[in-house]
Amino acid sequence: MSFVNFAKKEVILKVVYYGPAECGKTTNLLFLHKTISEKYHGEILLLDTHNERTIFFDFFPIYLGEVEGFKVKFQLYTVPGQSYYYASRKLVLDGADGIVFVIDSEKQRLDENFESWRDMMNNLKFYKISPKEIPIVLQYNKRDLPEIIDIGTVEKYLVLNGIPVFEACAIKGEGVFPTIKEVCKRVIERFKFGG
Amino acid sequence: MLVAKEFSDLLNELQRKSGAFGVLVITRDGKLVDLVGSLHNVNTIALAALVAGMFAATKEVARLVGEEHFSILLQQGEKRHIHISLIQREVMLVVLFENYQRIGLIRNYAKEYTPKIAQTLHLIAKSEQKVEQEKFQEYALSLIDQIFSEG
Repeated sequence: MSFVNFAKKEVILKVVYYGPAECGKTTNLLFLHKTISEKYHGEILLLDTHNERTIFFDFFPIYLGEVEGFKVKFQLYTVPGQSYYYASRKLVLDGADGIVFVIDSEKQRLDENFESWRDMMNNLKFYKISPKEIPIVLQYNKRDLPEIIDIGTVEKYLVLNGIPVFEACAIKGEGVFPTIKEVCKRVIERFKFGG
Repeated sequence: MLVAKEFSDLLNELQRKSGAFGVLVITRDGKLVDLVGSLHNVNTIALAALVAGMFAATKEVARLVGEEHFSILLQQGEKRHIHISLIQREVMLVVLFENYQRIGLIRNYAKEYTPKIAQTLHLIAKSEQKVEQEKFQEYALSLIDQIFSEG
């Protein structure tokens, strides 16, 4: 849910990286943090366990600049992927304006992608958000692995017609920028002052 | 903008009277509405995101024990504490204070100022300004191209 602060003249938009455990959501954020010019972003916040698994969320603010007198900001979040953190995932999705669904391309993890997608749909339903109303972008990550699923597998199984799809190897930074660019653009295209 | 100044004045008044070192108003999903106080060394953007997450988690806890929500959350440290209370369903008041301030005092002032803050927020929401939507989108899209093409 976009937030317009007319008093401070700010527009704040929320993008959530969703997907199964260890699919590369945090890796996307880390690459963005490392690569985007410092003038465009704030500090990255990683809430992880001792073995670097996200426990609550990661958070990374990006400052677009001033547009028509309003400071425009994107706040990027990741959800924890492990199935037992379902409550945290639900909370983080609250108020999302756009979603990047990160797919683990590894063949043997296909079902975990489907499970995570269903979990996301249930959570969107909880917030009364129709998946048609919110921009969702798919990112097939880990394309550098030897045993990977074909592009189109997830869309075909879940019947996702016309959804934007990107190939990525987030650890090398490949596909990270095109993905974030697409979701942010779609969020801006949907955004309206006053609702 | 008059109403914006009114809002900051109100938060300043609350901070001064309560003796808190910082007062923030944040949305339920972690966006910062306004802040006053000595918060130069505090990452307030991250603080807003975390407090909102914490409050949301507490709401789930409340639900598990048969409550709709806990309207107040207090985080006690050794030297500094945080008092979080709901202003409306969507907005929270966060008061940061030092050890020498009495919790009861903070709680009373937070309670006293909650309806005033809610009323001013309502006025701000009603004072929407006209913005040229198309121009806004066009320029924002070009900035997105610019930022995510660097690196």
